Amino acid sequence: MSVTLSVNGEERTFTGDPRTPLIDVLRDHMRLTGAKSVCREGFCGACTVHVDGEPMVSCLIPVGTLAGRAVTTIEGIAGGGAQLNAVQQALLDHDVVQCGMCFPGMVMTLSAFLETSAQPTRAALKAELSGNACRCTGYERIIDAALSVTGQEVAAP
Amino acid sequence: MTDAGHAEKAVMNFPRRDAQDKITGRTRYTTDVGGSEVIHAVLLRAEVASARIVRLDVEPARRMPGVRAIATADDAPGLYGIGIADHPLLARDAIRYHGEPIVALAADTLDQARAALAVIELELAPLPAVPTMAAALAEDAPLVHPDWKSYEVLAEGSVRQGNVAWEATVTRGDSDAAFARPDVTIVEGCYQVGRQSHVPFEPRAAVVSYEDGRFHIHTSTQVPWTVRDVTARALGVPESQVRVTVPAVGGGFGLKFDASIEPCAAVLARMSGRTVSIVNSRREEQMTCLSRENAEIRIRSAVTQEGEIVGREATVLMDCGAYGGEQVFLTSMTAHTLGGNYRLGTARLSSRAIYTNTPPNGAFRACNGVYNTFALERHTDEIADAIGMDRLEFRRRNVLGDKDLGSTGQVFEGNVLGPMIDRMEALRASSGDRKALADGRLYGRATTVGTWFIFVGLSAATVNLNSDGSATLVTTGVEIGQGTMMQALPQIVAASLGIPPEQVIVKSADTDAAGRDLGVGGGRTTVSIGAASVAACEEVKAKLLDVASEMLQTDRSELVLADGRIEIAGRPGTGTTIQQVIAEVESRTGPVSGNGSFTAPGAVSALPGCVAGHFLDAIDLPVFAVHDCELAIDPDTGQVEILAYRVVQDVGRALNPRAIHGQIQGGVAQGLGYALHEEITINDSGAFDQQGFESYHLPLAADVIPVEFDLYEGAPSCGPLGTKGAGEVPILNVGATVACAVADATGTKVSSLPLTPPKVMALIDGRQPELQHHHISPVWVENTLQSA
Repeated sequence: MSVTLSVNGEERTFTGDPRTPLIDVLRDHMRLTGAKSVCREGFCGACTVHVDGEPMVSCLIPVGTLAGRAVTTIEGIAGGGAQLNAVQQALLDHDVVQCGMCFPGMVMTLSAFLETSAQPTRAALKAELSGNACRCTGYERIIDAALSVTGQEVAAP
Repeated sequence: MTDAGHAEKAVMNFPRRDAQDKITGRTRYTTDVGGSEVIHAVLLRAEVASARIVRLDVEPARRMPGVRAIATADDAPGLYGIGIADHPLLARDAIRYHGEPIVALAADTLDQARAALAVIELELAPLPAVPTMAAALAEDAPLVHPDWKSYEVLAEGSVRQGNVAWEATVTRGDSDAAFARPDVTIVEGCYQVGRQSHVPFEPRAAVVSYEDGRFHIHTSTQVPWTVRDVTARALGVPESQVRVTVPAVGGGFGLKFDASIEPCAAVLARMSGRTVSIVNSRREEQMTCLSRENAEIRIRSAVTQEGEIVGREATVLMDCGAYGGEQVFLTSMTAHTLGGNYRLGTARLSSRAIYTNTPPNGAFRACNGVYNTFALERHTDEIADAIGMDRLEFRRRNVLGDKDLGSTGQVFEGNVLGPMIDRMEALRASSGDRKALADGRLYGRATTVGTWFIFVGLSAATVNLNSDGSATLVTTGVEIGQGTMMQALPQIVAASLGIPPEQVIVKSADTDAAGRDLGVGGGRTTVSIGAASVAACEEVKAKLLDVASEMLQTDRSELVLADGRIEIAGRPGTGTTIQQVIAEVESRTGPVSGNGSFTAPGAVSALPGCVAGHFLDAIDLPVFAVHDCELAIDPDTGQVEILAYRVVQDVGRALNPRAIHGQIQGGVAQGLGYALHEEITINDSGAFDQQGFESYHLPLAADVIPVEFDLYEGAPSCGPLGTKGAGEVPILNVGATVACAVADATGTKVSSLPLTPPKVMALIDGRQPELQHHHISPVWVENTLQSA
């Protein structure tokens, strides 16, 4: 069976089992390896992508449900190429990355949240990140970076 | 330039150069290598804890679609291990743990490989299992390794017998006399901890090809040379036939400090002639995690009313699981962790790695130190309470200072822990206490101290100075997220050569390109590879200065390398560019390069006759930490909330303070998980109950708070520019500090971790029976093979 969906603004067709999780379609079939397949049960958030602008974990979405929908991955979040969006720039400026595996998902979650919530509190940001686990950083410096996007500078970058 | 001048130039918040690709999804980890090029390997794993293999028939699998290669123990006959070669790559006759690999198989697709595994015929005869260390040490316990005597011993001085895989002991002074003194109070305690799973987001993975008679293993590891050695041993091929390369590693934390599945893919690559990818599923990764080991500890101390510790005896049982692995080595470390922190009149320590029919354990950030610090610091609070002395005052009086003896009799240099306690007091005073935030809940606070050490050892570096004035640093160091390869090393090389750190290219690890290295772990990379890099730079500088001295008609002792130039000291703008000097050297003798190497300085030693069975009996580079925690406990639920967490860390010299901040925040968070909710339980089939993220609870954003910290600089260090590793130690005393604060809040004896809400409720309600280790004798010598 075939499913046609938009991936990073490009029409793509997947032929195969419609129950295949979106993460596997992206990584194995389209070779978009930015989204990470970590827990495969919806807890870690490392595979987060946007579906019609909403952040969702791609490990739990059967590709067959996405006909005609628009998927944006980390590869497409800033318009492609070497461009960075504001969240990515802040993470870079604050030098918060360590192993890096969780960051594509973190960027997808934070980018969507900060578009809709202009002045979130620190607590609200932490609550929003509850679906994105990180084993290296201890989160707080990621929160610092995200707050700086909203003009709430809490720590020197 | 003076060393001090170099050091100042090296200090900066140099940003990571790998961050941009990591936040845009472009980084290619081992698990991102794939496509139509590779075939996929899977492992048939045991689903029982202990059994004899009666029959194994892989022929049905050969007839399945897409199958390209199948390997069994016959294809990898060698045994490997640390200290003892006890570990087969694939089980041959016996199953010793749930999850042990038996067959490796590769097929065109992962689905085909899994389908083929399912038709392999395996017949097992169950054997009695040894599920716990208490069972392993019982009289007439079945032996996990009935043939233990026949194994090759790889390290000198082994002390082992039956289910005791390895034993390391310390005996300093007349312990019996100390405990018999009439003026001492004797305090005794039992402690235990469970396992901790690393949960690196990138599981263990490798992509292996076999070309021109050599294996090329591209893998997610912290130890490229160990992977090379283990593969050679397991497969029975010369080490020179194995090349290991390492891209960005998606987290390690010690899990990847040993070889695991790489050699399986190597066998299959040689058989099939194809590039073979092997990636642990998340379930496999959890179920066969080389965890931080569970441990059981008994400590006994004789202390005077003035707080002098005249005698200390301790026994530490470390579960190595079915194979010795890292725990064999870790037995040595009890002397420096549990035996650390304090001056001891006499010391008797027994540290034992015990075989059980459970998944093998391994290394985990501040391995051995985390739980020994927990036990030691809980015991320390119990001592202070028993003699009626303030807990911090007791520590002040006893912490190791200049010229004090460690447990093995090694002489420590410098007063470090004492001043660090003062700095913690200052940090607490400046941030203010958070008692008000407890808001009616139980409030507790604790300050603990900890001793770690940098695991120095072999490293090699080559520096090639390019004609454009950039330098290429070639080592087999690995970037696992800690930042050393991205920050500390280019900063050190740049300062040494007087060029910007952006101009230092750091080659990723390739065992064909650089010399031997012990690997990334124990906080050693900045120190060991850093020192080798400085030595390599010295050779480069000597070549440059010889020629520049002639070119500039100035004695070389008056020349400095700075800002991409070679100048006369104190006269910026004089001299010439580094490129011009390089061009001149190249015209005379060819391209400019230098080699450097490093190993443990070995300047310290134990007192003669104090230690037995140790891999290292003194520590070259101690590192100290002081932690402080305030917390609140909900008396209705047992839920612990951390209100404040403070760290004073001995860093030698803070080369990149911002990066160290990242390590402290991350290490403390990992420690809070260990202290409060990361729990592994082993069920009747010998498997972990926690098989994924749903049941194994990592700290999430809401579980952490910003850690306050103060970097303590200036302690003695053999590291380059006075550095010490800063990434390992932040987790060291988190379990200890939280446990002491929970004990403070509840007024109870806290003897085990993790402190999950049900356990805390049991403490509050008085339903937690006092921990007893019936399998660890109160008579110390009975816990050693010396008594046999």
